Amino acid sequence: MQVTGSLKGRSSRLIRSVNSLLGAAMFVAPLLALVAIWAVVVPLFNVNPRVFPSVGAVGAAALDSIRDGTLFAHVGASLLRVGLGTLIGIATAVPLGIAMGVSPTVAAFLTPLFRFFSVLAGIAWIPIATLWFGYGFGAIVFVIFNAVFFVVAYNTLLGVRTIPHTLRNAAASLGAGRWALLTEVLLPGALPNIVTGIRTGLGFAWRGLIAAEMIATNVGLGYMLFVARDFYRTEVIVFGMIVIGVLWLLIDRLLLVPLERATIERWGMVRRA
Amino acid sequence: MKMLSLRNLGKTYFDPYAGAHVTAVHDVSLDVEPGEFISVVGPSGCGKTTILNMIAGFIPYSKGDILLDGKPVHGPGPERGVVFQSFALFPWKTVLDNVGFGPKMRGVPKAERDRIAREYLALAGLSHAAHRYPNELSGGMQQRVGVVRALANNPDVLLMDEPFASVDAQTRMTLQEELTRIWQERKPTVIFITHDVAEAVFLANRVVVLSKGRVLDQIAVDLPRPRVWDDLVKDDRFKQLSARVLQMVRAA
Repeated sequence: MQVTGSLKGRSSRLIRSVNSLLGAAMFVAPLLALVAIWAVVVPLFNVNPRVFPSVGAVGAAALDSIRDGTLFAHVGASLLRVGLGTLIGIATAVPLGIAMGVSPTVAAFLTPLFRFFSVLAGIAWIPIATLWFGYGFGAIVFVIFNAVFFVVAYNTLLGVRTIPHTLRNAAASLGAGRWALLTEVLLPGALPNIVTGIRTGLGFAWRGLIAAEMIATNVGLGYMLFVARDFYRTEVIVFGMIVIGVLWLLIDRLLLVPLERATIERWGMVRRA
Repeated sequence: MKMLSLRNLGKTYFDPYAGAHVTAVHDVSLDVEPGEFISVVGPSGCGKTTILNMIAGFIPYSKGDILLDGKPVHGPGPERGVVFQSFALFPWKTVLDNVGFGPKMRGVPKAERDRIAREYLALAGLSHAAHRYPNELSGGMQQRVGVVRALANNPDVLLMDEPFASVDAQTRMTLQEELTRIWQERKPTVIFITHDVAEAVFLANRVVVLSKGRVLDQIAVDLPRPRVWDDLVKDDRFKQLSARVLQMVRAA
């Protein structure tokens, strides 16, 4: 029995790893196709490098920035800002969203404000943020916080509201007090929506980051693009854009998707993708 | 264990759709002895679920009293366990942690509440499912978890709101037999709400028939235990009692 059991386990693990390899290949294939088209089109039409760079030039720019370490300085600065802004955003938005979900009065009072500010969230705050915090770290983190805050708070509110009332009744009749209700029912119950909010919010934040860095700093991926433009370095600009896109995919695939898998998919609260 | 009494219990609420006050429960008085199993039957709208929700403390009552050992009860509390029609298991907790939830709320340490949960899971034949999540179980298994989750908290009264209404007929019969077996083993006080007359008679020591927010009649069920469907479907006394209750419910 044990032998067949472990064989079965091994073969299903094999199938799973083949499947995930296949999935990764399916994901990368369209991106590679785009690169292939680019590699053909640029020399074919003899595109001016000031308009669009060749694949080789971008590759060289990539190697340069890795060799002299500027890439890591930019990426590190950008990730630190986005990480800090997002953490502050989540830490403040989730409690507020839960308070709104629990209290109809709080929700009724804050909802118009949320409607108003969610339109403005993110880059519209860059000018005033630079006035408040000066050009640099503080202003950029604020813009990211702002982009994450409203969407996470609003999704948390939705999440709390979608928890079936019988679950709260069940917890109460099993002896749960207010604190236990919060930690044992409301937070995990709202988690699917909170994760959705974080995913959307991080998307906003990432875009806000690039915009803010073009204006308000002297290091970071947005700054890297902006400075390259002054010198007509299209190969650096395109390389920077690729880094921005790839980093986002990595954050999404390596951080957010596994978080969903381990929690809400396992609990059957969202359908498996 | 404690005595549960309803004294002239009533519930009137404002129905915003009808734009008027509606009385769901007029005047209900009922004494439930410790260790007694009573079924409450009646047609839709007779107020049976409203009564259960008031005893559970989920909704306030408008008049009268609900007394547990002479003391009035308000709001939900662990001395009144509830089994829900929709199961109401926590999807983010394993079966073991669902059953251990009540003890956890009482501050029982992890090892001890796991032991309690395992004991109750064994009682319902669910030991193998301890580490699964509710969504991985069939409806019948989920409701077994729902029943032992309430029992594991050692409530004075177990309130069951049409708990087997949403499982298939075969499973329902098995669950009913299991419930009578568990009741015989543990002797909890049970108030079981149902609109299924056969179910009411099969399970209870006493069937309370409700009509339009009042107690219409009460019938003692003196059938021997253990009760199993194979025997009772052929039993004349069971048929007689069921027919009597059914007549009342239909006339109600």
